[in-house]
Amino acid sequence: MMSGRLVTLALRTYLALALLLVFAPIITSFIYSFDADKYAAFPWGGFSTRWYGEALADPDVAKGFHNTIIVAVTSALIATAIGFATAYTDYRYRFFGKNAYLALALLPPTIPAIILGLAMLVFLSRVGLSGALHSIIICHVVYSIPFAMALIRLRLGQMDRDLEAAAWNLGASEWHALREVVLPFTLPAILAALFLAMAVSFDEYAIAWFVSGFSETLPVRILMLLQREVSPKVNAIGSLVFIVSMTLVLVAQVMLVMRAPSQAAANGPRQGAGRG
Amino acid sequence: MAEPLLVLERLEKRYGGLVAVQSLDLAIAAGEFIAIMGPSGCGKTTTLRMIAGLERPSGGEIRLRGRRLNEIAPWQRDTPMVWQSLALFPFLSVVKNVEFGLKMRGIVAGERRRRAMKWLERLGIAHYRDRPVDKLSGGERQRVALARALVTEPEILLLDEPLAALDANLVVRMQAELKQLQQQLGITFCHVTHSQSEAFAMADRVVIMSEGRLQQAGPPREVYRAPANRFVAEFVGANNILDGTVAEATGERVRVDTGIGAFDVRAAPTRPLAKGAKVALVISADQVNVAAGPAAEGNVVTGTVIGEEFVGAFVTLHVDLGGGTVFRVQLQQHALDKLGSVQGKSLTVTWKPEHAVLLSNA
Amino acid sequence: MVGTIPTTSATGGRRSRGPRGFALAFALPMPVWQTLFFVAALLFLIVMTFWSVRNFRVEPDFTMANWVKMLSAGYFQDTYFRTVWYAALAALVASLIAFPCAYGMAFKLSPSFQRIVASSLILPYFTSYLVRAYSWKILLTENGVINGVLGYVNLGPFAMTSNLFAVLVGYMTLILPIVILLQYFSLAHVDRRLIEAAHNLRCGALRTVIQVVIPSARTGLILAATFAFILSFGDFVSPSFLGNNKPPTLSILMVDAVKSGSQWPRAAVVAITMVATLLLVAFLAMAFAYGRKAESR
Repeated sequence: MMSGRLVTLALRTYLALALLLVFAPIITSFIYSFDADKYAAFPWGGFSTRWYGEALADPDVAKGFHNTIIVAVTSALIATAIGFATAYTDYRYRFFGKNAYLALALLPPTIPAIILGLAMLVFLSRVGLSGALHSIIICHVVYSIPFAMALIRLRLGQMDRDLEAAAWNLGASEWHALREVVLPFTLPAILAALFLAMAVSFDEYAIAWFVSGFSETLPVRILMLLQREVSPKVNAIGSLVFIVSMTLVLVAQVMLVMRAPSQAAANGPRQGAGRG
Repeated sequence: MAEPLLVLERLEKRYGGLVAVQSLDLAIAAGEFIAIMGPSGCGKTTTLRMIAGLERPSGGEIRLRGRRLNEIAPWQRDTPMVWQSLALFPFLSVVKNVEFGLKMRGIVAGERRRRAMKWLERLGIAHYRDRPVDKLSGGERQRVALARALVTEPEILLLDEPLAALDANLVVRMQAELKQLQQQLGITFCHVTHSQSEAFAMADRVVIMSEGRLQQAGPPREVYRAPANRFVAEFVGANNILDGTVAEATGERVRVDTGIGAFDVRAAPTRPLAKGAKVALVISADQVNVAAGPAAEGNVVTGTVIGEEFVGAFVTLHVDLGGGTVFRVQLQQHALDKLGSVQGKSLTVTWKPEHAVLLSNA
Repeated sequence: MVGTIPTTSATGGRRSRGPRGFALAFALPMPVWQTLFFVAALLFLIVMTFWSVRNFRVEPDFTMANWVKMLSAGYFQDTYFRTVWYAALAALVASLIAFPCAYGMAFKLSPSFQRIVASSLILPYFTSYLVRAYSWKILLTENGVINGVLGYVNLGPFAMTSNLFAVLVGYMTLILPIVILLQYFSLAHVDRRLIEAAHNLRCGALRTVIQVVIPSARTGLILAATFAFILSFGDFVSPSFLGNNKPPTLSILMVDAVKSGSQWPRAAVVAITMVATLLLVAFLAMAFAYGRKAESR
C-alpha cells in the first residue's frame, strides 16, 4: 500500500500548491500594500502605511467609496425585496410558464458582465436613465436578484408548509401570516441575501464602468488607476475592499448558520407526513 | 328544529381528474365528538381542510350555524385546527404561540397574556410559558398546539391526526384527556384519524370514508356491530365474511347458501330479499364460539385450526372451514385453555343467527 | 400567467378565480424589473446593431452595414478565432490543473477538510478581480517578484507579461476555483462502490480513474469546462491588463468601440456575436454532456 499513500501525499501537496496559486494574488496584494517602494520588487522596500494614507486622502477614492456604499446598500435592499417576492412565489404557487419565470430570475449572471454593461448603457441612455448612480443601482439589482432569490428560496424550502396555513387557520390574513410567520422564519436568509447582494455590488466593475458616467464607484476607480498608472494605492484600496467584502460575506454566512438547525427540528419528525 | 352546527352538503373535491371527496353529506351536532376515519387517501383530511378553508370545495356546500362557508377565507372562519405536524411556530415561545390567534383578532397584549395563561394552566404546561417550543417533549408540544387552537374559544375544533406522532402509551393518555376536555368544554371536536382504536375510544360518532365517499356514519358500537357494507365490514374490527345467495326468506329469518353450507341470519324485514339474490354474511370474530365436540345451537360448521395469534388476554384462532374459507375466531385466553391444545385439531364453529349481519350488496 | 393555482398543500382560501392582489404583489416585481432592464436591454442591443453613426451620434436606422463591416473585417475574424482559441485553451488548462485537485478533495480529504477547502475556493470571488489581476502584474513583470527571486539563483529574467502566458494566468485567477469546485461536486457524487468494484476487478488506480471515475463524473466535468470557457470568453481584465491589450480579444474590441469611438452599433455587433457564440457553446456542451450518456453506460 506504500504507493497508495504516496499518491495521497502527492495529491494533497498538489492541492495545497493549487490553493497557494489561487491565493497568491490576494496575499501579494496585501503584502505589497505595505511596501514603501512605488515599484514592487523582491525584496520589498520596507514597511510603510504610505499607500493607505494616499488612498484614503485621494478625493476620487473617497467619492468612489461613498458612491459604492450608496449603490451597494440600495441595490441590495431592492434586490433582496424582489428576490424574496420571487422566492415566495416559487415556494407557494404553481402556474403556467413557471420554468420561464424562474429562468428570467436566474439568467443575468450567465451573460458576461461586460456585455450586460454595454446592453444597459445603450438601453439606459436611450430611455434617459444612464450616467448616474441610479443607473448602476438598476443594473446591480438585475445582477443580484438571482443570488438573493436563491438564498431565500433555500430557507423557505426548510419551512413546514403547514406553518403558514396554521397562521391563516388562527385568523391571520395572508399579509399578517407573511409578517408574523414567513418573515420571521426566513429572516436569517433575508439578512444573508442582503449582505451577499451588497458584496456582489461592492466588487462589480464592468457594468458600473459602462453605465456610471461621472459617478464612479470604487471598483471603477481601481480600473481607472490600473489603466493610467502603476500605483501601490491599488493594493491598499484592494486590501480595504477585501476586508469589507469578507466582513459582508462572513456576516452572511453567520446569518445562515445561526438558528437554522434548531428550527428545523422544532416540529418533530412527522413534518409533511402523508394526508388521509 | 334548528340546523346542526356544521353541515356538509354534497361536498366535492376534485384535483383535475382525481376525485378526493365525492358527494359527501354529513351533519355534525353541537357538542358532538365525531371521528372521521378511513385508510390514507380516503379523503378524510381533505374534508377537514375544506372545513378549515384550506382547500376550496369543487362542489356542494359547507355551512356553519347555517352560514355558507365556501367562499370565506380560512382566516375569517373560526375553525381552529390541531395539525398532524403540530405546526407550532418555531421562532415563538410557548405563550406567544398560544397568544397568536388572539393577537390576530386584535386583542390587547395584557388580555392576550391572561387568556393564554388560563389555557396553559388548564392543560398543565403553564411553567413552560417562556420556553421555545422546540425544547418541549412530544406530549408537551401537543398540549401547546391544543391550547393555541382552543384559546379563541371556538365552537368547533378540528384535529388532523394529532396523535399519530406520539408513542403508544402517550396516545392512550392523550385520548382520555382529549375526551375529557371535549366533555368539559361541550364544544364540537372533529377528529380525523386512520386509527380505529383512537376513533372508537373517543368519538360519539364515527364516520367511515373510502375513496372519497362516506361509507357509514354512526355510534362506534353500531358501526362495529352492524357494518353497512362490505368495505366497513372489512375495515372495522375483525370480521368474517361469507359470500352466498338467498336460499329462503321468511319474515325475519333468511337462509343463505354459501360455499361451506347454508346458514340462518336474522334480517330486518325492510326490504324483501328475492330468492337467489347475491348477499354476504358478516360474522364478527368475537361472536363466534368453538367447541371440541358437536354443538346444536345456531349455525354450525366444522373446521381445522391452522393458526393461533395471541394479543394480551385474547387469542385469535384461524380455522380452515374448507373451500378456501378461513374464519377468525376471537377467544379469551381461559376459554382456549379449556380446549387444550388446538393446533391442527378439528373444531365445531358456531354462531347465533342474530349475531350475523346480512349485506345485500355482495 | 401568474398566481392562479396554488401548490396543493399550501392552498389558501381562493376567493376568486382570477389572480389575486396578494399573489400578484409577489409574482410581478421580478418579471417587471428583469423585463424592463434586462430583457429589454438585450433586445435593444440587437436593434442597436442595425443603427448607424453620423457625426459621432447614434441614429435609428435599419442597415446591415455594421454586420457586414465587422464580419468581413480581417482583424475582427482574427480576433474572433483568437478569443475562441484563448477561451478553449483556458478551459482545457484549467480542467487539467483542476482535476487532480478535485480528485484529491473528493477522495483523499476528510469531510471537514473538504468543506474548508471548498469554502476557501469561494472566497476569491468576493475579492476584487481587478486587484488580483494587478497583483499578478507585481509578481510577473520583468522587475517583479518572481523574476527577483529567480535572480537570486541566477535565472531569468523571464518575460512573463504581455503574452499568452500572462493572459492564461489571469484567466486561471478567474476560473480555476470554480472549475475545481464544479469538478469536485461531480466527483463527490461518483458512486464509491463503482471504484471498489473496479479495484476488485484488478483495475489499476490510473485505469480506474480513466475508465470509471471520469466517465461517471463526465457531465460535471463538461459543465465545469463550459463555465471556464464562458467566463474566459467574456473576460476583459486579463487580456487587457496582463496581456497589455496585445493582441486584443473580442471584449477589448468591444470596449474600444464604446470607449474611444462611440461606435455603439459596432460594439453591439461584437456583443451579439459573443452572446450567440456562448449560447452555441453552451448548447453543444450540454448536448455532449447529457446526449450520449445512455451509450456510455
